[in-house]
Amino acid sequence: MEIKKKNPTKKPFSLSASLVVLVTSIVVFLMTVSVFVFATTLNSSLVDTATTNSAQSVEQAKGTLNLYASQIKQSVDLGVKKIATANSRNEVKEYIDTMAKTNGDIAAIMIYDLNGNLLEYGAGDVEIKQDLSNNLSFNKELFAASADYCITAPHIQNIFKNYYPWVVTVARNEWAGCYNTQVYIVMDMKFSSIASYIDNVGIGQHGYCFLMDTKGNIVYHPQQQLLYAGIKSENLDVLHSFINGVSIHQNTIYTVQDLDISTWKVVGVSFVDELVGATVRQVVKIISLISLCCVLIAVIMIMIFSKIVSSPIRSLVNAMHDFEKNAKDFQYKRIDGIGEINMLSQSFEHMVIRIQELMDKVKNEEITLRKTELKALQAQINPHFLYNTLDSIQWMCEQNKMQDAVQMVGALAQLFRISISKGKELITIEKEIHHAESYLLIQSFRYKNQFVYKFDVDPKILNYMCNKITLQPIIENAIYHGISAMVDEGEIIISAKSDGNDIVFEVKDNGVGMTEEQCKSILLKDLSDNSGIGIKNVNDRIKIYFGADYGISIHSVLDEGTTITIRFPKIEGGQI
Amino acid sequence: MFKRLFALALSLSLIAVSFCGCSTSLEQKYVAVITKSTTSEFWQAVSAGVNAASSEYNLKYTFQGPDNEEDYEAQNQMIEKAIADKANVIIFSAVDYNKSVEEIEKARDLGIYVVIIDSDINSNKVNIRISTDNYKAGQMAGNEALKIAGDKLNLGIVNFDVNSANGQQREQGFRDTVAEDSRVSVMGTVNVQSNVESSIAGTKNLIASHPEINVIATFNEWTTLGVGYAIQQLGLQDKISVIAFDNNIVSVGMLETGEIDALIVQNPFAIGYLGMESAYNLIIGKSHLQSNLYTDTTAITKANMYDESNQKILFPYD
Repeated sequence: MEIKKKNPTKKPFSLSASLVVLVTSIVVFLMTVSVFVFATTLNSSLVDTATTNSAQSVEQAKGTLNLYASQIKQSVDLGVKKIATANSRNEVKEYIDTMAKTNGDIAAIMIYDLNGNLLEYGAGDVEIKQDLSNNLSFNKELFAASADYCITAPHIQNIFKNYYPWVVTVARNEWAGCYNTQVYIVMDMKFSSIASYIDNVGIGQHGYCFLMDTKGNIVYHPQQQLLYAGIKSENLDVLHSFINGVSIHQNTIYTVQDLDISTWKVVGVSFVDELVGATVRQVVKIISLISLCCVLIAVIMIMIFSKIVSSPIRSLVNAMHDFEKNAKDFQYKRIDGIGEINMLSQSFEHMVIRIQELMDKVKNEEITLRKTELKALQAQINPHFLYNTLDSIQWMCEQNKMQDAVQMVGALAQLFRISISKGKELITIEKEIHHAESYLLIQSFRYKNQFVYKFDVDPKILNYMCNKITLQPIIENAIYHGISAMVDEGEIIISAKSDGNDIVFEVKDNGVGMTEEQCKSILLKDLSDNSGIGIKNVNDRIKIYFGADYGISIHSVLDEGTTITIRFPKIEGGQI
Repeated sequence: MFKRLFALALSLSLIAVSFCGCSTSLEQKYVAVITKSTTSEFWQAVSAGVNAASSEYNLKYTFQGPDNEEDYEAQNQMIEKAIADKANVIIFSAVDYNKSVEEIEKARDLGIYVVIIDSDINSNKVNIRISTDNYKAGQMAGNEALKIAGDKLNLGIVNFDVNSANGQQREQGFRDTVAEDSRVSVMGTVNVQSNVESSIAGTKNLIASHPEINVIATFNEWTTLGVGYAIQQLGLQDKISVIAFDNNIVSVGMLETGEIDALIVQNPFAIGYLGMESAYNLIIGKSHLQSNLYTDTTAITKANMYDESNQKILFPYD
């Protein structure tokens, strides 16, 4: 019944754990891919947008500055025309005074001769300094080098007392009739309006604009104090190499545009990572959150799934293990679950019941078979024994030994009565002893003077039960194989005693004895030569009825005799 | 198995929660800038720096200071107002080294970051300090004084409020530097209120009581103007050399006309800009390696005032 089973050494991955791992990795993989794809797409589209923004802002700034420049040129042209055609110096003075006062963008208008001597100026209500030696608004070399307009870099105008505006100087060489010489007509245009305009150009969140000249020097930068203080810096070498248009350098978007005036360029600066990075990070965050939620939901679903599927399967498996170990007494309790599990459980239940039925059937059939066989055997009457006995009775009758004949017929009757015993297997020990006595009586007539026998029975055990026809085959064995071959008179001693919870019968003869092989073969073979029931049969019956612990044991020494012991449990008559 | 799954689910949800917690809001943060003054050119340049940084870092800000540069009570009220308005950061320049400590520490305790600019306060709870290195600026003034030719340098010092930390640090730097030269003897010191009238009167008194003085050092914009006017009124441009601070247009004019001989010019734009940048860094939780940031100073004299780079330092864009 016990089937040796391989011990489950390593626990394999359970269904739920593998599902968790699988779902989690799928979710994580998909989310990573989608984040990556999304980030890449978004990044490029945001960079495009940022680039467009930057280009537009700079374009706009360029337009505004060009417009501003053309207005300056107009004022200069107008001024130049007036001054060139003026009739007197007073007229010039009056004109430039009015112009400086009325046009808020003009810091001062000055007329110099070619050596830089101030001939006339108009600047509103400011007081001119005595000492003009370090005049930043007159640059002889620069003025002389330019044919048409000359525009300087922004600088401080320093010819007036306590008035230091930032200006851009626009100069033009012209013949002035009233001075009767070539003069420089110089206008200092306030730079503050350009500066504040540049300051207010914003590109994206942190972007800005600045002015650069063609040599790569900064003309104006909204944070030039920071640049000067070394807190910030612009990558001017790289910027200088950029052509007009948009360039992206180290996550920074630069847009460069030439201005019509002078040699200046507008440079727009904005930052890719701040425009793009923040958005992408936000999106990545949201997506990661969603994916986490997905994993969570998956885990919860798997927990539920496990509850529904995995755990019934596990208990089914356990039930199968139990069944494997002990099929006979196994009782299966059906598991409730989803359809398939239910079906599986039902099938298993049916299988268990069917197997147990089959096992019972096989067992019962076997037992019945054996019993039938035994009964059939017991029913047999050894015909030789019967003929011999009947011959002996006949002879006794002929010899007029009526007393002996009566005794013999009585013993024979007793023998058969007990043999049949209404078909019962178990009879009282008392009857069994009678049976043995009857048999011995009959045999003692046949083997006259060849042996004597003696009974030693504990009267207390007479009411216990024993298998019928247990002593007779052994006594028969003792007579045929032990005593009959002897020259001297043999002796058979039959004892019946209690031994603890058992009863022990002992049949002892002093015959020729048996070899060890003989002893073994008696218990193994059904000897069906002349004896009706062999010792093996007795042994088998005792073992079938009472178990393997009981039965016959043989102790024999050659030329000394044989002792056969029968052991079986004490059974009261009512217990059957 | 279920226990393990449960633990996994729990840890995942914890991660999710922490993710939610750190997702930033895009709401505009508010920075309250409280200064000693709003009228001087120094503070206007600071304001320009603050403005530049605020648009760069997308911060909302208010810029205010007392009418009187001695008025710490008005400053304290402004701090209270900033706390009530739930400012994220207070950028503060202390009129008085000790008198605003309580208010500033209250703001810190409520989780408001504090950035000190220009003039310090007696508290170790401040997050970041940004200023001119006042002691070094004083040393720079001292070196300018020592460049003056002459056998004997009789020094007079006109300084503002003794309670203001930066003025005292500058004076200390100055004194420590000039003390190394045997030509120097400090004749007298006068502490005036941080305005022009008080400074003129103080300077005149100083000169009257120590007529041998031939060098005067002074340490902020208003006292510079006061000293300059006093020299102008007394006509002592040629006799007395003046080492002064900051780039008021009038004091720059005096540099040209000779009342003042050297100006130690700070970088107020950078102070304002860095203050705002630090505020931003504090808000986004970027850690700082140093809690003291110093901006540079430049010594400007008549000779170098029109150098191209000095123009940009000396003259603000309006």
